[in-house]
Amino acid sequence: MTNPFEDPDGTYLVLVNDEGQHSLWPSFAEVPAGWTVAKNEDTRQACLDYIDENWTDMRPKSLIEAMGE
Amino acid sequence: MGAGLSKSQLEDILPLSPLQQGLFFHALYDSEKDVYTAQIVFDLRGPLDVAALRAGAATLLRRHANLRAGFRQRKEGSPVQVVHREVRLPWNDADLSALPEAERDARARDLADAERARPFDMTRPPLLRFLLIRLADGLHRMVFTNHHILLDGWSTPVLQTELFALYLAKGDDTGMPRVAPYKNYLAWLAAQDRQAAEDAWRRSLDGVHEPTLVAPGAPEPGAESPGRVRTRLTEDLTAALSARARAQGVTLNTVLQLAWGTLLSRLTGSTDVVFGAAVSGRPPELPGVEQMIGLFINTLPIRVRVRPADTVAEALTRLQDEQAALMPHHHLGLSDIQRLSGTGTLFDTMTVLENYPFDPDAAGTALGGLTLHDVDGYDASHYPLTFAAVPGRGLSLRIDHRTDLFTEDDARRLMRRFVRILEAVAYRPDLPLGRIEVLDGDERACVLQEWQGPVTGRETGTLTARFAARLAETPDATAVRAAGESISYAELDRRANRLAHRLAGLGVGRDTPVAVLLERSADTVVASLAILKAGGAYAPIHHGYPPERLAWAVAEVAAPVLVVNTPMRDRVAALGTSARILVVDDDPEIAAQPDTDPGVPCHPEQLACVLFTSGSTGVPKGVMLRHRDALDLATDGRLRGGAHDRVLVHSPHAFDASIYEVWTPLLHGGTAVVAPPGHLNGEALETIIAAEDLTGLFLTTTLFNLVADERPHAFARLREVLTGGEAGSPAAIRKVLAACPDTEVGNVYGPTEATTYTTIAGLRAPLADPSETSAVLGRPIDDMRVYVLDQGLRPVPPGVAGEAYIAGAGLGRGYLRRPALTAGRYVADPFGAPGDRMYRTGDLVRWRPDGTLEYLDRVDFQVKVRGFRIELGEIEAAVAAHPAVANVAVIAREDTPGVKTLVAYVIARDPARGDDPPEPPGGKRGIEGLRDFVAARVPEYMVPAAFVRLDTFPVGPTGKLDRRALPAPDYGEAAAGRDPRTPEEERLCAIVAGVLGLDRVGADVSFFDLGGDSIAALKLVTRARQEGIELTPRDVFTHQTVEALTRVGEPEDRLGFEVLLPIRTSGTRPPVFFVHPAGGLAWGYLQFQRHLGPDQPIYGLQARAFTRSDLPGSVAEMAEDYLEQVRAVRPSGPYHLAGWSLGGLVAYEMAVRLQAAGERVGLLALIDAYHGQDLESERREILPELLEAIGVDAGMIAEDGNPDMAQIMAVLAARDDALATLGEDDLVNVYRNYENGLRQAEEYRPGRFRGDIVFFTALQGRTADSPTGRANWGPLVEGEIEDYPLDIDHHLLMEPGPAAEMGAVLAAKLDKLQSTD
Repeated sequence: MTNPFEDPDGTYLVLVNDEGQHSLWPSFAEVPAGWTVAKNEDTRQACLDYIDENWTDMRPKSLIEAMGE
Repeated sequence: MGAGLSKSQLEDILPLSPLQQGLFFHALYDSEKDVYTAQIVFDLRGPLDVAALRAGAATLLRRHANLRAGFRQRKEGSPVQVVHREVRLPWNDADLSALPEAERDARARDLADAERARPFDMTRPPLLRFLLIRLADGLHRMVFTNHHILLDGWSTPVLQTELFALYLAKGDDTGMPRVAPYKNYLAWLAAQDRQAAEDAWRRSLDGVHEPTLVAPGAPEPGAESPGRVRTRLTEDLTAALSARARAQGVTLNTVLQLAWGTLLSRLTGSTDVVFGAAVSGRPPELPGVEQMIGLFINTLPIRVRVRPADTVAEALTRLQDEQAALMPHHHLGLSDIQRLSGTGTLFDTMTVLENYPFDPDAAGTALGGLTLHDVDGYDASHYPLTFAAVPGRGLSLRIDHRTDLFTEDDARRLMRRFVRILEAVAYRPDLPLGRIEVLDGDERACVLQEWQGPVTGRETGTLTARFAARLAETPDATAVRAAGESISYAELDRRANRLAHRLAGLGVGRDTPVAVLLERSADTVVASLAILKAGGAYAPIHHGYPPERLAWAVAEVAAPVLVVNTPMRDRVAALGTSARILVVDDDPEIAAQPDTDPGVPCHPEQLACVLFTSGSTGVPKGVMLRHRDALDLATDGRLRGGAHDRVLVHSPHAFDASIYEVWTPLLHGGTAVVAPPGHLNGEALETIIAAEDLTGLFLTTTLFNLVADERPHAFARLREVLTGGEAGSPAAIRKVLAACPDTEVGNVYGPTEATTYTTIAGLRAPLADPSETSAVLGRPIDDMRVYVLDQGLRPVPPGVAGEAYIAGAGLGRGYLRRPALTAGRYVADPFGAPGDRMYRTGDLVRWRPDGTLEYLDRVDFQVKVRGFRIELGEIEAAVAAHPAVANVAVIAREDTPGVKTLVAYVIARDPARGDDPPEPPGGKRGIEGLRDFVAARVPEYMVPAAFVRLDTFPVGPTGKLDRRALPAPDYGEAAAGRDPRTPEEERLCAIVAGVLGLDRVGADVSFFDLGGDSIAALKLVTRARQEGIELTPRDVFTHQTVEALTRVGEPEDRLGFEVLLPIRTSGTRPPVFFVHPAGGLAWGYLQFQRHLGPDQPIYGLQARAFTRSDLPGSVAEMAEDYLEQVRAVRPSGPYHLAGWSLGGLVAYEMAVRLQAAGERVGLLALIDAYHGQDLESERREILPELLEAIGVDAGMIAEDGNPDMAQIMAVLAARDDALATLGEDDLVNVYRNYENGLRQAEEYRPGRFRGDIVFFTALQGRTADSPTGRANWGPLVEGEIEDYPLDIDHHLLMEPGPAAEMGAVLAAKLDKLQSTD
């Protein structure tokens, strides 16, 4: 059973929520509420590369603010 | 041929179609009951002209030659159908009209059943019968029974139509069209290209590895007729479906098949499904084929790939194209196709689109007032589910189901889902298949809300704040018990505060991970709390990590500080980390720190800990858990109420269970009771439960099962024992429940990523039901949710397997420094609050109809072995790093139920290519040293039990590795050995074989060579005890073979302590003798049997102090004594000698003496041994040093200077190795030897040796004054001194890593000596 997040031939989106957390997302599935598309449909690897490049501080935004940065 | 058949009676001889052949052979060989008798039953209302009907039937037989066929075999065996020119019309009449009305129907059914039960003689045509039953005036029942070999269901309406046309004409067919004969079809068949058909089917089924079964393991169908539910689609929906089919250019059949495939996919959790379809088998190019009566029908496998991302329109087109390509090949029989696919049975569901129904309504008016009514048809089909559709203005749908497998409710539910899928197909062509919703509203509410964890509305918080609140309430209560000491909340707070200040001073701040390597003690709790108070997050490193992995983890955490305690100090000394190493129990500055809280602000989102778990890419990944996560777990409702107030802390700090163990009691005002270091067994558990009045604890499945086996009552004083990690054993749990009537067994489930436990299920109630066969997971705990989703990320219905996704409380932040990995595992949650995430576990689970979760399997290559979570990819990466390995696959096998072992399959590099290591002598052996190579890179629990060398990997049709085809490891070679000679040996061999899951074991083969490990050794002891054989784990370590183990307990038996310790007695080469170090035991050398080839005998020499009280006076005395032993097994040279430390000096002296006696010395290996050194034997603290050398915390004797013997023994007993078996007297002897040995080493004055020396130098702990091997021995030796440096401390030379390195050197030397001999 192939997981929809592990399909090497599938196309994916990168989603981001208000806390700045990123999620890989199979493009066939509806985008869940509270998430916006940060990167449009692309290969899995391209999406993972995008995440590595753009999600550099894994702390949620609320914590970053609370820590006064 | 044709015996008894005159020429005039014979009309034709024809071959059989493939399907007819199949049926004919069934009829021949299954003569007991022929299930291929078909029957059509219908009622005729109105005035019936019986004679006309009979005449019609006779004409029917006359018109259709194939209905007059009998079936025979030619002399050479091939079957033929013999068409008779004339046959008698088999017609019977029955009259039941005189019976009371209530009995008529039953009697009529009996008659029909009797018709069906009466077999046909295949050689005597016709293979059909008519029975006309008169039920009343104007009411008749026609029972038409035939052998399936004559005609199929599609022919029935043709036959009925023709019969009643002939009835109207009173049997006169002059006005009727000519019959297209069945022999035309047979001729067509003979002209088909069978090879092309086979190729087409092979291609179509390529990649189908397993059947699609809705009822796997279903018993053979019984006699009862299937249940049946029907529905009729609205005309609107029917029209929309037809329109959709037209718009996509596909047939209605394709639409229905896609819908059934989608339903099956949701039922089985697979996106690649196969089901059977009855096809008419009537080749359209054959003229008049539609009006033929005969056997054409075929059952074919329909494969549907239900890719979640494909839209309805795309999927329809694809399916139509695939099926169209197969159309010319429909003539191949199902059994041939299944043979081609290599999987055998491919499916257990059927679909039938009844294209050509006989329409009684339409015919009714023309039959002179006679109307037909479908009563029954008898269908031999006994699939668990059969779906049938009958076209019409409103499409009629039917689901037949085996009632022993599906209830009527189940079938109705399936029908509703099917209709929902059809609606989506009809109206939403652009919808991805993955988005089609099949669940009812109520089902959806159950699986997404009602069955989820209680919603508590708890405030988020921090561990530190909650601890402070507890401190304020009960400052004097006992927070921690460890090593007999009680630490109050106030004291714990003060200690943690001082350490926190110290950590802050060293740069630990908010959200900073701090690497921690602590031997289990009160330090574990103090340091964890202190790090949190400083704002940081503790990141415990598993103590089982080999040095390379340890260094990696410390670097990965990248903390300014590495926190250790004294027992671990040596482990990190050589790390070369830039982090400041803080030894918490030996840091002079901590005491001076203020004992007030440092007052660092903390946020619930801040990290509390980072826990490393196995990672598939070859390195572990650090799971980041937040304060709120740990707090939510510790304060979960299921863990409140007293059962988890006094909890045993014993899991490795790096395991997520430690969160439960430490924080659940501490945040409830309870007590965390820290177990002494090392492994626990049942006896130790029972003791500590009683001594510390524990209420709860957690055990891995493996340990739980072991204790359940050995000592099920051990938990009797607990309120609850939690267990999990692997699928629990109901038998083991029942045993504990029965032995501990007041104790609950809680089955826990959850990945580290969702903070330890996601579900907790008390098992006393569910397992009280004797029919319960699994340890259920229950439901999620407070504020947690488990979604069971399919590959389209839709919730699956209850009963269907899906992947578990966890949402809600406890979801950590992600993986340390791995954003992409995090984003692929912690993903957007479509079912929670906006912006929520869910963690995908990779666990296959299902909901039971009552809303309990049940664990099924893993979906990926993560496995659990002995409770450890292991990514096979990580092991594969470690194996692949060996230069001789070209390719590797690692799998967890369970060849014996309940015995899971890791097996590595390796393909060696071609030695012909380049300068790769040469093929080992003796042909296809394993790759030399591979096991040790791997052991140095991954923790012990990840080292495969077997390394199997293959030339190629088995691959499936797609060219991918077929893991299921990997052979079971052949322990045969290792297991061979000699047969048992005594009944005792026989019994013990059987027990060992049982424990290790082997068919047999030799009596003289080491338990550890057979794949045994420390857990297996404990099992062996338990099983032996159950058989009345008393063994201790020590016996297993010291005796190893069955042969030796059967001698345990004999009066003279001091095995393991004898002066000449036989390590391996078999082999043709001259033996190697290893002389003991100062402690007197040669057990450390046991491991060399793995490194030196199987043909190399090995002996150890051990001090006499274990078998008699007086100590030797000098090295020379020892040498002379040992030479006597050596000569007993090896009367003449060459002699191979080796020794570590003092043992090196003794070996040297033996070598000198042998040469003086004119003997030849082959190998002389000195392992970090120097003569003439001032070892300060008078002044040094021997016991602490000795204890540290064997890994025991020397602090245990520090308090008053006297050794705490009881505790040292407890620590030793908990070890994983042979030292665990030492008795107190033995320990005293080790001490005496050591002390004596140091003195003798100082006094030893060596003579000259003529020959080469192999020397091993321990680099760690050397000072500028330390001698070198060459400088120390060079002046005495007339030969070369080869010096091999090892990056390790002198005391640690017999650790597996350095021992493996030395083993490799020694093996090469011995090979060389052998070849020059």
